[in-house]
Amino acid sequence: MIEIRELTKRYRRVAAIEDVTFGAAPGRVTGFLGLNGSGKTTTMRILLALARADSGAALINGRHYLKLRRPQREIGAVLEQGISHPGLTGRGHLTTQALLCGASRRRVDDLLEYVGLAGAATTRTGDYSLGMRQRLAVATALLGEPPVLVLDEPANGLDPSGMAWLRDLLREHAGRGGTVLISSHLLAELEQLVDDVVIIAAGRVRLQTSLRELEDAQTQRIRVRGGDHQLLRQAYAQAGAFVETDGRALLVEGLTAEDAGEIALRARVPLYELVSERPNLEQIFLSLAGAR
Amino acid sequence: MIGLLRSELYRTFALRSGWVSIGVTVALGLTFGIFDTAFWSLFAGLGSFGLAVMLTAQHYQHRTALLLFLGRPRRLLVLAAQCLSAAAVATVIAVVSGLGVINWGDLAEYRATLAAVPLVAVFGVATASVLRRPLWLLGAAAGWVIFVEGLFGRLESPLPFSAFLRAAAGDTHLLWVFAAWTGAALLGAVIAIRRDLTGD
Repeated sequence: MIEIRELTKRYRRVAAIEDVTFGAAPGRVTGFLGLNGSGKTTTMRILLALARADSGAALINGRHYLKLRRPQREIGAVLEQGISHPGLTGRGHLTTQALLCGASRRRVDDLLEYVGLAGAATTRTGDYSLGMRQRLAVATALLGEPPVLVLDEPANGLDPSGMAWLRDLLREHAGRGGTVLISSHLLAELEQLVDDVVIIAAGRVRLQTSLRELEDAQTQRIRVRGGDHQLLRQAYAQAGAFVETDGRALLVEGLTAEDAGEIALRARVPLYELVSERPNLEQIFLSLAGAR
Repeated sequence: MIGLLRSELYRTFALRSGWVSIGVTVALGLTFGIFDTAFWSLFAGLGSFGLAVMLTAQHYQHRTALLLFLGRPRRLLVLAAQCLSAAAVATVIAVVSGLGVINWGDLAEYRATLAAVPLVAVFGVATASVLRRPLWLLGAAAGWVIFVEGLFGRLESPLPFSAFLRAAAGDTHLLWVFAAWTGAALLGAVIAIRRDLTGD
């Protein structure tokens, strides 16, 4: 469980984040969305005690990071683009981290196998690709078998198969009751992964909701292409709908697809296309983040 | 604390740059010790300082300080472990590389150097925790030693590196002076290590 309460951080007079409040629940994957410079990384760093807040609280399972007795047993983090000393091998890197968190050498080898780096265990991480470094970063986060995972842009550098691997891993983690907080600008990828969404813009949380509620709350629009657009337009308008056209089809708001079909049938206008359209996560995000 | 120490020592010896630097320092120290005890003292001290700076500052240079602080969020404990680890490595370097000095029977300077070398390693860790950039720090230290302490102070002033050299030669008073410099650097490190780790 992650709780962020009224978190504020200023760099001189500029507020990086202001009154940021949200939560990430166990058993769910929470997507933390924001444009570059919106305050995502600052919030995550404060949560992990890498930066100090001016006010507010960031809690993991009810406690501040500094109060965790064995932090890597409670929370694992993937930050930046796969941090490691380039002179250490993959196994050497994980071993230094295992000694820190009290994990066994066996766990190191198991994780190298799990993230698909067993064949590169003795290669220096400086020679790793970006995707390999990200896999190593995920292995580092999993060393202490923590119930809470925090990932800052983990999809960077992962190819489609790597992304599918990460998605399965995180879904499996949440499925076992774990908490996952993930930030990413790859919204199409995130849409397939997250249960809950937190949108931050200009240092303030604009929205926290479940992905399903967010989608349901969006105005549904129907795209209709038929035999007589003028007649259809009149019929839909009489039924109280708002109707526009893009030149090729009618765009109808305020009716369900079923209603639109029945009205067309009563008006005796043949339909060639009837599609229910909802804005995707990227469109919702951009409208809320004020980027358009 | 034990886990931290083990992790730091493991990293020191797992890095090729770490064990090669230690090996070269020991080999050169052994060679210099055969010819001149004072030169061995100087080399053991500066070698230990350089190693401590490199190993500490590399955590910031390669961003692994993030992982270190995630594993051990109490940063003063991290600083203490880094000091202990650097002091232990420096002592081993001095003990082994000074065997040539023992051969000549110069035990007093050998003992004095062994007392001062852990302090110079801690001084290196502390200054690296403040500046966080190894090449800047080593460049600044070289410039400081050559121009300020060497040309102006003739290596006889109570400034850090001069004090170390005189302490390593057996001057107990200057050992305390150097300990005070190390304490001052540690005070700076205690404040500096709490700084936020900003983005890359």
